[in-house]
Amino acid sequence: MNEKYDLAVIGAGQGGLPAAHMAANLGAKVALIEMREVGGT
Amino acid sequence: MNEGCVPTKTLLRSAEVMHLVKARAFEFGVRGVEPSAISFDLAAAVARKDTIVKGVIDGIYVALRRNKNITFYAGRAEFTSAVEIRVNEVVIQADKTILAVGAQPAPAEIPGLKEAGYITNYEALSLGKLPASLIIIGAGYVGVEFAQMYSRFGAKVTLIGRSSQVMPKEEPELSEILGEILRAEGVDLHTSTEVIRVERQNGRRTVIPRRGDTEMRFEAEAILLAAGRIARVDSLGLDQTGVELDGFYLKADEQLRTTASNIWSIGDANGDHMFTHRATYDGPIAALNAVRNLDKTVDYRVVPRAVFTEPALASVGLTEAQARDAGLEVKVGKAYFKHSGRAKALGQIEGLVKLVTDAKTNELLGGHILGPHADILIHEVVAAMYNRGTIEAIAKSIHIHPTLPEVLKSAAKALG
Repeated sequence: MNEKYDLAVIGAGQGGLPAAHMAANLGAKVALIEMREVGGT
Repeated sequence: MNEGCVPTKTLLRSAEVMHLVKARAFEFGVRGVEPSAISFDLAAAVARKDTIVKGVIDGIYVALRRNKNITFYAGRAEFTSAVEIRVNEVVIQADKTILAVGAQPAPAEIPGLKEAGYITNYEALSLGKLPASLIIIGAGYVGVEFAQMYSRFGAKVTLIGRSSQVMPKEEPELSEILGEILRAEGVDLHTSTEVIRVERQNGRRTVIPRRGDTEMRFEAEAILLAAGRIARVDSLGLDQTGVELDGFYLKADEQLRTTASNIWSIGDANGDHMFTHRATYDGPIAALNAVRNLDKTVDYRVVPRAVFTEPALASVGLTEAQARDAGLEVKVGKAYFKHSGRAKALGQIEGLVKLVTDAKTNELLGGHILGPHADILIHEVVAAMYNRGTIEAIAKSIHIHPTLPEVLKSAAKALG
């Protein structure tokens, strides 16, 4: 299955989360990917 | 959020309460506390930590669900090309990517350590039972915080660091006092000491370090490795992207762009300033550059840092030695918490404030605080430095009496 996005953010820690939210708020369609728990270290 | 900031601060608070009740209650007039009857329930403290962390994590998921432009994928990301990422059964196509992959503990390279078995900060936050004894390898942020935490919980802690001081990059004078405070609390601290091998016999772990020509042996139930962190990039498939590493970290320019023109990288994975607040600062800048094609650059001139021991050690900017090495003419102002009425009232009189300024312009170059709530106090220096402020902002402004920031003001006035 293929999904198309404007931006991928790999890592939903304390850097990835604000990056994803900022990009999304600018109108970008964002895929946020996290292999562990969100929130980071 | 899961293995660093909030969890450690939560458990450090348990350690602080334990220390206050067991070691200091009598001094403050509290009676009926029998120190020998006091025990520490690590499982209960870990459960408190887990509840707090879960609350924060739940809030993160709520915010993600509310943002209709974000689709969340739980799984391991692997690049199959610079514009395609596989996650489980899905292939995500994205012309641009921001790497926010963070860092992980550097692997154990000490002979015998892997075989003997060790824990990292991750496991040390979730132990069900307090080890009777713990050897911590590494006396930087992680090592120092866990040393005080586990010592106050009641474990016999040995802390081993290669540098001549704990917190190797900090002002030597402050690090020296912090080391002495840890020793006074019962931490067996060994600086300038390098671990050369580890053995395991009959369920006991033996760490063999060397200081100069002298070999030592320390036995303990558990070993905590806290000797550096490296970018978490295994199995990301970066070889498909053109993203390069510089040693253990990702190469990124001032606009956070990696060596691949469509991929940015933020936070710990880029090395230097490996703090959560740096990643949080980087994130929106990378997003603006990636989405809006802006050329925003990062400014790491003023990045504060803190180790959350008691007393805490917090700093920003240059140490005295770094400023002199940079060829600057330097003035230094100091003030001690032992002269502060408020610090006396709190019963927290250890430590000092050291301010470093440019002797010609009076511009603040660095601030270094070892003392109660240093992690809070440092922000007065941060705000002044951000505006390239001079020492007058702190020396001449009115500070509330009696408060701890008066010590900062005293240090600033000492420069006058």
